[in-house]
Amino acid sequence: MPRLTIDNRQVEVDNGATILDAAAKLGIEIPTMCFLKGCKLSTSCMICVVKVNGSDRLVPACGTIAQDGQTIESDSEEIRQVRKAALELLLSDHAGDCIGPCQAACPARMNIPLMIRQIAAGKFRDAIATVKKDIALPAVLGRICPKPCERVCRRALFDKPVSICLLKKYVADLDLQSANPYLPACKPGQDKRVAIVGAGPAGLAAAYYLLKDGYGCTIFDEHESPGGMLRYGVSQDKLPTDVLEAEIALIEKLGMEFQGQMRIGTTLSMEDLRRDFDTVFVAVGQLKPGDAESMGLETAPNGIAINGRTYETNLPGVFAGGGAVRKRRLAVRAVADGKEAAVAIGQYLSGQPVTGPANAFNTRIGKLKDGEIETFAAGASKTRRLTPSPEGSGFTDDQARDEAARCLHCDCRKAQSCKLRQYARHYGARPSRYKGERRSFVQHLQHPDVIYEPGKCINCGLCIQIASQARESLGLTFIGRGFDVRVAVPFDHSIAEGLKHAAKQCVEACPTGALAFKNKT
Amino acid sequence: MDELDLTFVAQAVEKIGAGEEKVLEILQAIQGHLGYLPTEALERVCELTDITPASITGVSTFYSQFRHRPAGRHTIKICIGTACHVKGGEQIYDAFQRDLSIPEGDDTDPQKIFTIEKVACLGCCMLAPVLQIDDITYGHLTTEAVPMVLRDFLEQQKAQAQQADRQDYAKSDKELGQIRICLDSSCVASGSAKVYQALKKAVEETRAQAVVKSVGCSGMSFLAPLVEVVPADGVSFRYAGVLPADARAIVLRHFKPKQITRKIRNTVSTMLDKILTDKAWEPVTRYSIDVRDRPVAGFLEKQVHIATEHCGSIDPLDLDEYIRNDGFKALQKTVSMLSPEQVIADIERSGLRGRGGAGFPTHLKWSTVYDIKSRKKYVICNGDEGDPGAFMDRMLIESYPYRIIEGAAIAAYAVGADEGYFYIRAEYPLAIKRISQAINTCQQRGFLGNNIMAGTFSFQIKIVAGAGAFVCGEETALIASIEGRRGMPRLRPPYPAESGLWGRPTLINNVETYAVVPWIIRNGPQAFARLGTTSSKGTKVFALAGKIARGGLVEVPMGISIRQIIEDIGGGITEGLKLKAVQVGGPSGGCVPVELAHIPVDYETLNDIGAMMGSGGMVALDESDCMVDIARYFLDFTQNQSCGKCTFCRIGTRRMLDILERLCAGEGKKTDIQELEHLAQKIANTSLCGLGRTAPNPVLSTIKYFRDEYQAHLEGRCPAGRCKALITYSVTDDCIGCTLCSQHCPSDAIEMRPYEKHEIDPDKCIRCGTCKSVCQTDAIKVE
Repeated sequence: MPRLTIDNRQVEVDNGATILDAAAKLGIEIPTMCFLKGCKLSTSCMICVVKVNGSDRLVPACGTIAQDGQTIESDSEEIRQVRKAALELLLSDHAGDCIGPCQAACPARMNIPLMIRQIAAGKFRDAIATVKKDIALPAVLGRICPKPCERVCRRALFDKPVSICLLKKYVADLDLQSANPYLPACKPGQDKRVAIVGAGPAGLAAAYYLLKDGYGCTIFDEHESPGGMLRYGVSQDKLPTDVLEAEIALIEKLGMEFQGQMRIGTTLSMEDLRRDFDTVFVAVGQLKPGDAESMGLETAPNGIAINGRTYETNLPGVFAGGGAVRKRRLAVRAVADGKEAAVAIGQYLSGQPVTGPANAFNTRIGKLKDGEIETFAAGASKTRRLTPSPEGSGFTDDQARDEAARCLHCDCRKAQSCKLRQYARHYGARPSRYKGERRSFVQHLQHPDVIYEPGKCINCGLCIQIASQARESLGLTFIGRGFDVRVAVPFDHSIAEGLKHAAKQCVEACPTGALAFKNKT
Repeated sequence: MDELDLTFVAQAVEKIGAGEEKVLEILQAIQGHLGYLPTEALERVCELTDITPASITGVSTFYSQFRHRPAGRHTIKICIGTACHVKGGEQIYDAFQRDLSIPEGDDTDPQKIFTIEKVACLGCCMLAPVLQIDDITYGHLTTEAVPMVLRDFLEQQKAQAQQADRQDYAKSDKELGQIRICLDSSCVASGSAKVYQALKKAVEETRAQAVVKSVGCSGMSFLAPLVEVVPADGVSFRYAGVLPADARAIVLRHFKPKQITRKIRNTVSTMLDKILTDKAWEPVTRYSIDVRDRPVAGFLEKQVHIATEHCGSIDPLDLDEYIRNDGFKALQKTVSMLSPEQVIADIERSGLRGRGGAGFPTHLKWSTVYDIKSRKKYVICNGDEGDPGAFMDRMLIESYPYRIIEGAAIAAYAVGADEGYFYIRAEYPLAIKRISQAINTCQQRGFLGNNIMAGTFSFQIKIVAGAGAFVCGEETALIASIEGRRGMPRLRPPYPAESGLWGRPTLINNVETYAVVPWIIRNGPQAFARLGTTSSKGTKVFALAGKIARGGLVEVPMGISIRQIIEDIGGGITEGLKLKAVQVGGPSGGCVPVELAHIPVDYETLNDIGAMMGSGGMVALDESDCMVDIARYFLDFTQNQSCGKCTFCRIGTRRMLDILERLCAGEGKKTDIQELEHLAQKIANTSLCGLGRTAPNPVLSTIKYFRDEYQAHLEGRCPAGRCKALITYSVTDDCIGCTLCSQHCPSDAIEMRPYEKHEIDPDKCIRCGTCKSVCQTDAIKVE
C-alpha cells in the first residue's frame, strides 16, 4: 500500500490508486474535466496537473498511479498558472457565449434569455421571479428603459431584435394585475438596520434586496412620496403613477419604512444616521452644490466618490449609488446600483470582506462570421417582430409567446454546470488571452432532446466512449487530427442517428455546453 | 455520379482479413484501387468486418495519406521537409498550382489528371526541393522546371506502358568485373534507374566481361547517379552524375570488347572527360567529381561504417552476398552460443542507446521486457521516420534490410519474443518493398520462422505500413496504429515494455538501433564502446542536407564535432554563403548556431544547448535562411502533426504558430517573444508524449541564439530577406534588358522592355524568386 504526501499531508492508498484518488481521500479537490469514473482515461484536458517530487514536468493526476514515497504538490502558484493557461487555451478555441449578449449588456445583468423562455413556456410566475432577481421595478422599467439589451440582440442581424423590454413589461404587468403579486422569500430578520437616503430607483432597489436579505430598511426622502425622479421627473404618459405606486407598494409590503420630507443637511444629519443605523446608503440622485460636503462625502468629477465595485464612500459604513455618483442618469443603471450596493452592504453587515457582487464569468463569440446568424436562427421562430397596437399598449398572451419564440437562445444551456466556466472563474482565466482565429459556431439540432455545439467541445472524448459502451451502431468519433480535430457522427450522419440511446448520458458526462438538453427553462 | 463498384472492397477484405487491426491495410487497398475513400466503400467495410463506423472514420481522418474526395489520375507529392523548405519547396507547390490551373482551395486540376499535395518529407533531402509523381521522384527542382517535369512524367508513363519492368538482380561473379549502381529511392530520383538500364544494355551489346549490379547506397547522394566500376583486377573508379548516354562509354572504357579497336576507345575516353564536366540537364543537377578528388575522400574518411557496413558494395537483396560478408553470423552466434542474459549484457557493455531520438539505454529496455513473465511478447522495429529532413531509416532499410532483420531477431531472442512488427511509413514504398522481399527470403532460407538455424528460437515478422502521421513515431502511438486505432499517444507508465502491443510486453527500437546490433555481437561490445564519448558510444547515422555541398547519409563516430560533419564530410556551404546554423533533430531538435559548431555530437551535449539528437536529421542553414521562418516552419509542422489530444499541444502549438506567423508578416507585438517563451515552457512541461514535449525546441533554440532576428521582425525587418511580407524585389542598374525575368515571371509583374532596365510591380509580385534565379547579370535585389 503506497504512502505518499500531498500538499504536506500523508495518505495511504490501495495499490493502483491514482494521485487523484489519493487527493480525494484527503479531501483535496483537484479539478478535472476530461476525467469520468467508469470511462477510459482521456488525460487530455491537463487541468488536473500536479507536481511530483519537484520535477519540472507536471503530470495529470487522473492517470498517474500513486507511488510509495511520492511528494505531490496539487495547488502551488506554478500549478495554478498552468491550469489557468490550459483554460485560456481552451477558451481561445471556444465558439459560444456563456451568457447572452442581451444579459451582458443589461446594466442589471438580468437573465433575459431565461425570462423569455419562461414566457414562451407559459411559466409566468417563474418569469417574474427571474426578472425580480435583478430588477426590483420591472413594470416601471418596462416603460422607460432605453433598452441597451435590444441594441445588442443578435436577432437584429437576422431581422429585428426581440422585444425584450415589452416582454418584461408584459410579465411585470401581468404580475401586478394578479391577485397575488410576486414577493420574494425573505431571509429571517437580521438585527441590522440600513438607512437609505433617497427614494428614487437606486434607493428603492437597494431597499428591495436588503429587505429580501432580512435587513431593516428606512428610506428618507425630501419629497412627500417615494419614487424620486420616477415620480417627479417622468411624464404620466410614459409612466403612470399607479404603476409606480403598485411596485413601491410591493416593497413596502416587504417591510420598507418611508419617511418623507426629510432632507439631509436640514432635517437630517449624516452623523445622526450613522449613529442610529448600522449603515447608510446615499441615493439622493443628482447632487446640488454643497450636498456632498454637507454629508462629509468626498466627490469625484461625476458625483460622490465611490469604489466602483463596492459602492463604498470615504466614510466607513456609508455607501452611495445611483444618480448621485454618475453623470449619465439611467433608471436601469440606478436600479442595478441599488441591487449591487445591497450586496456590498450585506457583506459589510455580516462581517465579510466587502468585495461587491461577484462578476459572472463570460466568454463571448463577438462578431459573427458569414452564415453564422443563420445557424443561430435555425432553431428559432421565423415570425417577424411584433408591435402591439395601439402603440404603448402591451402584448396579449399569444403575442408574448410568439415574440418570445423569436429568441435565438444565445446563452449557453449549461452556463450553470459547465466545468470550463466554473474553473475559468476559479482560476481567473481571461478568455481573450490567446486570441486567434476562432472556430465557427455550429449547431446540430436534429436530435429531439439534445443539441450539439462542436464549438464548445474540449475533445475529452467522453461522449465517444459512452456511445461506444452503449453499443450505438453509429456512435461518435474524433474526426481529423491536431488543432482541427472534432467530435462528430461517422459518415456525416445526424446526431440523432449517432446517439439513439446514449444521448442523455452523453449530455450528463459532457463537461461543457457542447452537448446539452435542448429545452431547459 | 456513377454507381461505385464495391466488389473490390469485399475482395480486399477477403485477402487482408476482417480484424479491427486490419483497418489501415484495408483503407490503403481501397485508396490504391479507387484513388480515394468513398463513404459507401467505408460503410461496406464496416458491414464486412469487425471495424465500427466510429473507428473507420476516426482512423481514416487521422492519417494524412487518406483522402475522402476523388483525386486526379496521378498524385504529385511535393515535399516540404526542412531541406526542401529552405530550398523553396512551397514555391514549387505554388508553381504547380499555377501551371496546372488548379483553382484556389482545390488540389486537383480541372481535367482531373493531377492532384497536388504537400507532404511532410519524402526522405530525399539531398535532392531538395524534391517531389514524387506516383512512384517517380524528381529532385533539384526549380519553379522553372515544373512544365518540364510534367512533360517528362507523361512521357515516362507512355514508355512504361510499352516496356515491362525486368527484375533480375545481378549476381556477383569473381571472374567478371562489376559495374555497381545504387537504386534506392533518392538515387532513382536522380536518374539512376535509367542509367542502370542503359548500362545493362551496353554490357549486353558490347559483350563486356562485366555484370551490372544494384547495390546499397554509398551515402554519397550528392553524386548520384553514382556508378562504381570495379574491374576484375580490383582497382575501382567512380563516376558521378552519370547520364544514360554515358553508359556505353563507361563500359567501353573499362571492359575491352574484342571487336573494338584501341583507337575508338581513346576517342571514347576523351569524350567521357568532356561529359563529366557537363552540367546540362535540369532538374537533375549533375556533378563532375571523381572519387579520386580530395572532396570525396573527405566525405568518406571521417566516417565509420557500422549500421552502414559495406556501404555501396553489397546488393541489398542478395542474401548470399550478405552471408558472405558476415551476415547472420551474429544471429548464429546468438542462438547457438549466447543466453538472452549474455546478449543483454553485451548490449549493456556496448553502451548502445536508442537511436530514435531520446537516447534511452537500449539494454534497459531489453532487460525490462526480458524480466516480465509473459507467454507472448513482441518486438517492434520503428521505421516511422517522420521528421522532415531525415532519411536515415529509409536508406538503411532500402540498403541493408537483412541487417535490420538480423538485429531485430537478436533482440527478439534476447527478450523472449517470437513475433515482430516492422512499422514503416507509407511514404517509403521502396523500403517496404525491399524489407518484404528480404523477409520472404529469410523465411525461405530459415533465418526467420520456426526453429531458426535449427535451434529452438522462432521468430516471425510482419510489416505494417504507416499512413502519414509523424506522431506515430512515438511508441505508444505506433502501437495504437498497429492495433488499428488512431495514432494517439497515451500517458506512460505503463511503458510498452510492460504493457505494449495488445497489452503484452513489447520491445520497440528504432531501425538504426537494430542495424548496429549484429556488428556489436560479432565484434564485441568493447569494439563499439571504444568509439564515441563517455555517455554516447558507437556511431550515429546522420542525414545531411540543406545548404551543403555534399548531402547524403553519413555514419560518424559519436563525439565528432558538428563542424567536422558539415565542413569535412559535407564540404561546407554551397553558393559562397556562410554557415549560419545547423538544424539538428528536426521538429524535436533545435538550431545550433555556427558559434557552437565545435560541440561534439553526443546526446547530452546536444540537449544542453537546447537541441536534440532526434533521429539524426542535420540541415545546414546559411545566411539567407531566416531563423524566425525556420521556427515558424517547424511549429507549422508540429501543430499539423499533433494528435490533437493534450490541450497544450493541440491549441498551444497553434497559438505559438499564430504568433510566429504574425512575426513573419511584420505584425508582431512587443510581448510576442515573451509570450512564445511562456507558452513553450508550459507545452514542454505538460505534454504527454515526446512530440509535444519537444515541440517548442525549435522556437526556444532560435530565440536563444537569434533573438536579434526576432527583434528585427518586431521592427518589420527580415534580415535574411526571406519573409515574403517583409521583403521587396527590385531591379538594379545592372539590368541589361535581356527580358528573361519578364518572360519567366509567373505573375506578370515585370513588363517586357528589351534593352531597357526592367521594373517589378510590387503589387503583382508574388516574391517567388524566379526573376532572381533566371537573371544572368545578378540585377535583382531583395531587401
